[in-house]
Amino acid sequence: MFNTLIMSLKIDYTYSINAFIYNLRRLPILKDLITEDIYKSKNLKRFISIISIIYSCLKTIFFHLLYFFLIYFLASIINKTNISKSFIHIYFIFSIIGFFINNNLLNTSKKKYFSIVLFNMNAKKFMESSLFYNLFRYLILNILSFMVISYFIDIPFIIIIYLLLIPFFLRIVGEALNILFYKKYSYVWINNYYLYFSILISLLVVSFLPFKDIFVSRSILFIFLIGGIILSLISLTYLLRVKDYKIMFKKLNTKNAVLSKDNSYNRQKMVEVKKKDIKIDSRKLKNKKGYDLFNTIFFERHKEILMRSSKKYSLVLMGIYIILLILGRKVNILNNLGAFIILMYFINRGAIVTQAMFFNCDHAMLRYNFYRERSVLLNLFKKRLTTLIRVNLLPALVIILGNSLLLLVNGNNNIFIYLMLGLYIISLSIFFSIHYLVIYYLLQPFDSSMQIRKISYSIVSILTYVACYFLIDVNLNYLYFSLFSIIFTIVYSVISLYLVYRFSPETFKIN
Amino acid sequence: MLGRGILKLEVINLSKSFKDNEVLKNIDFTFESGKIYGLIGRNGVGKTTFFNSLNEDIDIDSGAFYLEDSYGRNRLNTNDIGYVVSTPVVPEFLTTREFLTFFLEINHLDVDVDYYFDLVKIDKKDQDKLLRDFSHGMKNKMQILINIISNPKVILMDEPLTSLDIVVQEDMKRLLKSLKKDHIIIFSTHILELAMDLCDEIVILNKKKLESVPKDNLNTKKYKDKIIKALKGEEDV
Repeated sequence: MFNTLIMSLKIDYTYSINAFIYNLRRLPILKDLITEDIYKSKNLKRFISIISIIYSCLKTIFFHLLYFFLIYFLASIINKTNISKSFIHIYFIFSIIGFFINNNLLNTSKKKYFSIVLFNMNAKKFMESSLFYNLFRYLILNILSFMVISYFIDIPFIIIIYLLLIPFFLRIVGEALNILFYKKYSYVWINNYYLYFSILISLLVVSFLPFKDIFVSRSILFIFLIGGIILSLISLTYLLRVKDYKIMFKKLNTKNAVLSKDNSYNRQKMVEVKKKDIKIDSRKLKNKKGYDLFNTIFFERHKEILMRSSKKYSLVLMGIYIILLILGRKVNILNNLGAFIILMYFINRGAIVTQAMFFNCDHAMLRYNFYRERSVLLNLFKKRLTTLIRVNLLPALVIILGNSLLLLVNGNNNIFIYLMLGLYIISLSIFFSIHYLVIYYLLQPFDSSMQIRKISYSIVSILTYVACYFLIDVNLNYLYFSLFSIIFTIVYSVISLYLVYRFSPETFKIN
Repeated sequence: MLGRGILKLEVINLSKSFKDNEVLKNIDFTFESGKIYGLIGRNGVGKTTFFNSLNEDIDIDSGAFYLEDSYGRNRLNTNDIGYVVSTPVVPEFLTTREFLTFFLEINHLDVDVDYYFDLVKIDKKDQDKLLRDFSHGMKNKMQILINIISNPKVILMDEPLTSLDIVVQEDMKRLLKSLKKDHIIIFSTHILELAMDLCDEIVILNKKKLESVPKDNLNTKKYKDKIIKALKGEEDV
């Protein structure tokens, strides 16, 4: 078992160190500094390995501490006068939730696929090593986190011992029950959403009991500890007796299950043409020719992820506005105009549609010379842009209508405000539609399996989000907001369309 | 491996359906070592399902598999099988060298990695490259290699050679032919020429059943016509 653990850790670390180096090599300056030979150079790799290991340890500790502080934060909200008791209560209930939902042994992971299926590791030894490794890692992280959290709240030492040991033993019991359930019903119980959510929600409700000054008592903790110890001994014997781990792991970690953990695979699935969109209403194609027809077919085939989802968004927005209208005077949208930027960011279908364009159309078409011709490329770009703007305008119009009604309810009679706010939303909607299509044409980041190959695309996407996020709190007069966004959209459009016109025949290609 | 005599893989009464779609129905078939079997069938007919059933990757509705050699007859164990899947998934962030080294270490094989690099002709420049940066063909080569190294009694190969370049294809064919004496090799492909060139027996999966297409004394052209007719369901074999 010990050898398996060492081997498994060695593979893990090599894997994550290489991934760390790979990502470093994608950054602008480091790209030239670190050559591909680094993977075989011992010294430099050792140096980066140390950094990578320190980084991953700190990250794990950070996230574990974050979990503790989250509970602390919840405790202080739920019951201000008894934070310590609330903390103990919530932590205890969360441990029980963990008992139900943490199934390290049966969850699907690439690591299991590689270790058991590809590398042909002994599945039972793999199970033992990962069970004990995870348990003790979890215990150490908990000890560390309790040491830190004790600076902030006063928890009796004996209770800390209880809180350290209860989840430790419960985890063993949980793993055993999961395997027992799987062997009996041939599926992992977490996939039974009805059961899963009913248990989760009821326990979450119990975790909020401190709100009513009800806390878990010391005797309950004691009973759980003793029960946990006894049951975990039985569970451990069971876990060590089960023989067919290899078959279990193989059935759960099939190639497809493992692939579905990949972002690129999920991207492919997301933009897949849906069955009901394969047949197109012939009336829609009447009188259309050439690239106009081509573009119409594309958008018709993606109705589900474009038009229909845009309609769904519009309906949800309508619902929200109706609620806001019922609340009436309390809502003053003029003070929250910045928030509309991030709202428009989220409801825009640009990111999805460009992925669909690539995966279901361009990555095949770009192989033909005629498709890469400047006139064809720009002609299609124009058509796509107009359709995309149209698709995104529907929810924008709902927002304009909703805003106008809210203003009306608040007794606002200035028609100029209505007009400017309308233009504000429309310009935002047009801006995002242009933005996604332009960065797609200028940076074309995907490869044929939908992996993002260009870090510049990721950077632009992150910056767009960050900018939208920081604009939430900006508080300006409506006039400035509207004028600024209209002018910005016009300037951005002119510049970016010029860039597309000028450069896209070179930049828009297969990676 | 030596002295095991002729190996036999018996498939008895195998059936598998997905909801209402019955894919495999009461299949009985015996495969033997000393032959490479070419499994042919039209798209979606269930070749991969057949492999997945043997490999215990999916639950089957009925059936049993036995492996028989001169020592006796036992139920087929998942460790007896090496399965080369059509689209390989490999640890992207390991280099070729690391991948092979780990594999050899885990399986307690005391062989120098370079021996295998030579065996499947992996250039020096590719030995320390991440698997992520390899083509589909190269990933497949690694997958075939580890399945050959681990020396299972039964080797299942789902469309394995099509993505390899011609030189590697020829090397792999030679390697498989050298392995057939002590292994049962079942090989699925859509390329009839490849199957006819490499395999000793063509087996067709059609109408939920496995059927062998005997070559008898037919010449290549007539044999090919017979296979195509059988695939179209026009001829009983």
